[in-house]
Amino acid sequence: MLSCQVEGELTHTPENIVPITPVAILKYYGNFEPTGGITVSGDAKIYLEDNQYKVKLDNFSVTSGPDLKVYLSKSATPNEFVNLGNLTSQTVYPIPSSVNVADYSHVLIHCQQYSHLFAIAELIQN
Amino acid sequence: MFSSQAFSQGCSDAGICSVNHGFQTEEKSFKNHIEIATIFGAGESDVRYLSPYISYTKRFNDRFSFTSKVTYSTATGSFGTRSQFGDAFLIGNYTFKEKSNKQWSVLVGWKFPFTASNLKINGYSLPLDYQSSLGTIDLFLGTNLHYKKWDFNGAIQVPVFNLNKNSYFKEYGGTNDFPSTNLFERKPDALLRATYSIKTPNKKFTFKPNVLFIYHLGEDSFENIFGQRENINGSDGLTINGNLITSYNLSKQSSLELSLATPFVVRDVRPDGLTRSFVAGLQYQYSF
Repeated sequence: MLSCQVEGELTHTPENIVPITPVAILKYYGNFEPTGGITVSGDAKIYLEDNQYKVKLDNFSVTSGPDLKVYLSKSATPNEFVNLGNLTSQTVYPIPSSVNVADYSHVLIHCQQYSHLFAIAELIQN
Repeated sequence: MFSSQAFSQGCSDAGICSVNHGFQTEEKSFKNHIEIATIFGAGESDVRYLSPYISYTKRFNDRFSFTSKVTYSTATGSFGTRSQFGDAFLIGNYTFKEKSNKQWSVLVGWKFPFTASNLKINGYSLPLDYQSSLGTIDLFLGTNLHYKKWDFNGAIQVPVFNLNKNSYFKEYGGTNDFPSTNLFERKPDALLRATYSIKTPNKKFTFKPNVLFIYHLGEDSFENIFGQRENINGSDGLTINGNLITSYNLSKQSSLELSLATPFVVRDVRPDGLTRSFVAGLQYQYSF
């Protein structure tokens, strides 16, 4: 019965689809590590471009999950964080201008719906 | 009255508006009753709804009846189209003996969601306006006074267990039409309705004009992008709807019913996706 759902095509362009151009400056980077039972590969990279910080997931893949989010976090656990939106096929996530990026030390992949942490990337300053 | 600025709290999706069907007191010779209906609604922005449901009522005796109902909803708008089962309702009704033309009924019911209100399209989160359910397990408590040609309903709908896992952020949605509803938490509703029934002499047609007051008992809240809970200012308050029900008796056992509704007073902010500027429902009922 629950399979009787219909998912149409997305006909609206979400706000947070942005590119990274060659003039962007790499400020922070880190390699993703999985939590238990998860497979992940790739890097989190934070670029600065026109006073806009952006997280790029580079060569990234992770075990699929139902409600995965990209968090910029102050620690390796999702306690104090900025939710950058859904993990989708997009690879670049803009960071809101009100956020002081230097205060954040990790990029996390977190399943919000079931509160399960999938992957952790500790950031290193470039 | 039908202007695009006018919005009503949806009369099919939250459930509280349709609980009074459990109070039906007229036809008691049949023990089983089935309703099949579809409801068209015009929502916020350009969202349009088609929401069918099926319900079955078992009358055990002159006093007790039990109703079960399943809803489905298709929402279509700028984000696309999303369809899914909505909620299952289980409602018990007890009717007291009539005294001096007055007859009281009481009901107790539960609403169970089929979803966590986090349906997406292509992995992108959608506002509650596109969700088929609020994602809450709700308790209904209600009473009805039937007096001559009048019915007066009072009911409350309380979200007892919040399973809502919606993840829509206005910041990332690309539109200002819908507020953020990430991990939405909803407050209860209270309902008052007055209905007057007019039957034509041949008893084929019944007209039931009614006015419906819904008070949303507090501000709803959501978790912002920093993981902090925020109240949604203006999401509490009063909605007043006008509703005209016209039913036609096809036979002693079956009838058709057309329901038209629109609002007169609305809340300032309506994040729950129940907002309708116009609702039209067509229902077939069969008793056996």
